[in-house]
Amino acid sequence: MHTRSFLLVPLITVILTGAAAAKVDLVTLPERDRVQLTIYNSADLTLVREERTLTLKKGINRLEFGWEGTLIDPTSVQLRAPKHSDHVRLLEVAFPPKIKGAAVWTVESDVNGPVPVEISFFTSGISWRAFYMGTLSGDEQTMRLQGYVRVENRSGEDYENAETRVIVGKIHLLDEIAELARRETPYGTPGYPEPRGQGLLITASDELKQKAYSQMAAAEEAADYAAATKSIVKEGMSEYFLYSIEGTESIPNGWGKRLPSFEVAAVPVENLFRFEEERYGSLAHRLIYFQNDEEHELGKEPLPDGKMKIFRDLGQDSHLSYVGEVYNKYIPMQQDLELDLGNATDVKVEPILMAEHTENYTFSNKGDITGFDRIQLWEIELQNNRNIPIRTEVWRNLSHAHWKIDNNASNKGTYEKVDVDSAKYVLDVEPNSAVRLKYTLTLYEGDCQYQR
Amino acid sequence: MKHLTSSLAITIVAILLQSGPAYARIKLVALPERENTVVRLDHPTVTLVEEERVLTLQEGVNQVDFSWNGVHVDPDSIRLAVLDHPDDVKLINVNYPPNAQALVWDIHSRSAQQERVRISYLLANIDRVVSYEMVTDKDETQLNLDSYLVLRNFSGEALTHVNFRLDYGEAFEKSIADGETKRMLFLEAPGLNIKKRLTFDAATQPWDPSKLDTNVGIPVHYEIANTPENRLGKHALWGGKVRLFQKDTLGSTIFLGEDNATYTPIGQDMKLYIGDSRDLVVTQRKLQEKQTNVRRNHRDHVILYDSLEIMQVEVANFKDRDSTITVLEPMPGEWEMIKTSHPYERKSANKVEFTIEIPAKDKVTLIYHYVRQNVRPV
Repeated sequence: MHTRSFLLVPLITVILTGAAAAKVDLVTLPERDRVQLTIYNSADLTLVREERTLTLKKGINRLEFGWEGTLIDPTSVQLRAPKHSDHVRLLEVAFPPKIKGAAVWTVESDVNGPVPVEISFFTSGISWRAFYMGTLSGDEQTMRLQGYVRVENRSGEDYENAETRVIVGKIHLLDEIAELARRETPYGTPGYPEPRGQGLLITASDELKQKAYSQMAAAEEAADYAAATKSIVKEGMSEYFLYSIEGTESIPNGWGKRLPSFEVAAVPVENLFRFEEERYGSLAHRLIYFQNDEEHELGKEPLPDGKMKIFRDLGQDSHLSYVGEVYNKYIPMQQDLELDLGNATDVKVEPILMAEHTENYTFSNKGDITGFDRIQLWEIELQNNRNIPIRTEVWRNLSHAHWKIDNNASNKGTYEKVDVDSAKYVLDVEPNSAVRLKYTLTLYEGDCQYQR
Repeated sequence: MKHLTSSLAITIVAILLQSGPAYARIKLVALPERENTVVRLDHPTVTLVEEERVLTLQEGVNQVDFSWNGVHVDPDSIRLAVLDHPDDVKLINVNYPPNAQALVWDIHSRSAQQERVRISYLLANIDRVVSYEMVTDKDETQLNLDSYLVLRNFSGEALTHVNFRLDYGEAFEKSIADGETKRMLFLEAPGLNIKKRLTFDAATQPWDPSKLDTNVGIPVHYEIANTPENRLGKHALWGGKVRLFQKDTLGSTIFLGEDNATYTPIGQDMKLYIGDSRDLVVTQRKLQEKQTNVRRNHRDHVILYDSLEIMQVEVANFKDRDSTITVLEPMPGEWEMIKTSHPYERKSANKVEFTIEIPAKDKVTLIYHYVRQNVRPV
């Protein structure tokens, strides 16, 4: 362990039965046999589970542990002895007054000798996030998709050879773990508001870092080539999804790590330029579509939310061009993914009202106007200033539900009435060219709405 | 290694396989130099750098430090591609040391070998802007266009012998220091045809300049077609600041003015506003508004009518040369043209455009008759 302060079970004091509670004997500090991290990303929360072998004596044992300088929630610390579950029990945890960051466990044991125990607790300060790199093929028909997990350890504690698992899902917490870790009294105090401690500054000395780094490197060296490219085992749990990284990882305090999560060589993608004035304003948006399913070489797991950087492979010697960055939300299996790359600079869509007139006036029995038809001639100019063909989608949202559209016979592409007040055109446009869609919109006003 | 200066640095450490716990990071003597660096300036705001380095790898896991102290690198954008032996050399992990702008790659190699890798990353605070200098002839029919690429490198990194690539054309090699700005001529297009266009927009300009104390200028534009016919049209013209000059008869030039050109795709016109002309005077008058086809309700109140209207636009050219003027006329919602003295083009439901030639020292009168239909009294 290479923390600036010691962590769990640094001292084991054996209390002589009957005698006054005095520290008489110091038992050897047990090393961690195994450590497992389960890192959440929707909250600053990591479940740490570690195995150590304690040497207990039959009867009552008192163990002192401290967490000073770490970001551990002391109320979450648990001790179990899975192999001796009927014979070893944690009877009591005492947080003595005026002592910060320390507690005394009372463990009752029927066993004399070494006992493997499992200690679990929550810590804050370890986080992970997903991010992606997408590389479009030259014709933009497929995309190489690489998913990564980036883990950061700012917990104040080094974790060596830790089994690392990350969890996707929204967790409901009453208190922030970081706040619990800062409390002067673990469960708060009755009667008056509790003063808050200072935030922790995580700094490690160079020497410490160097040592941690060397050990980490050594651990990696120990991994054989087969493990060189680690796989991540994925598993659905309740409302969560668990990603377990093969083997172990060493993440010293202060360090971050990027781990590959998955890679798909060629996800078939659809490119689309969408124009919808009410949603995007006067510029078309560039979108890339695919589905998180088998057909798209995906669908084995949900995709955690994260940023995706999109590049385009330029063909010659695999040189790249940068396209843009999008944030994509959590995508369950089978769901569509729509990557919105924002305003398109080289594709232009402009609807132009070319003419408008009214007709079919209706009158009341007093001769007043009660309704009429408003007829509008529209032309939509679509300009593709790119050197590859594109597909465009143009949404027309109408002011009310009473209307009809007559499309010009020369229009190419497809037209669809989507719902009561919107319609959609889909049209392919050749490279460096412009086309116009033409249609007549009839809006039924007043009484004319009732006559149809 | 220049860890103290702001620069991208790369260090290889091999882990010595000793028995026992003592492992050390060993710095190799030969630091790999950057080669074949490509800086791609095809994105409007973000610059991608690709560079190649030859790593001397030991058998087993190698640690390669990549640091960018003081350089604006986006850490999530860093990619490493193994070029020579992608099956034998694998990137296992990427580690980020604390409080450092650096990462450590764990690269596994099956044997001790030299390996070429390509490192790419997004670099901020380096970009390009484009500016133009154009000189027209005395008649304003032809123009020489020079386009400059201005590289601005404030990325924290000096780029030496780097291939810059735009979204078209050939790459060019340049060196640019950190904090340096360099301007380069990258397009020379002499003898382009231009069209000078004066525009009167009746929706925004005063109709009767004689009633005003100041002159009313008529905006003047040059139009340059980005087409192969005009010896352009190979790629879109980027937007940027344009300075316009005109040759005078004494072999010198005068400065006509400047404008911001907008991005001009192939096949479209670059429009440059060069100022206002005071030698053309436009006077517009509505000559008639006559209600016809009046419809009433049973209480004899007017509910709908049509309005027959006549508009007159008088253009006087005080120049000693012929001029062309574009007259933009706003139109009410529901209308029909009845007759016009000059042909017009319908731009939209609310706008028509006339193009009128006016001989030197002459005057032309445009008249158009139209009907506004189905007007409701307010």
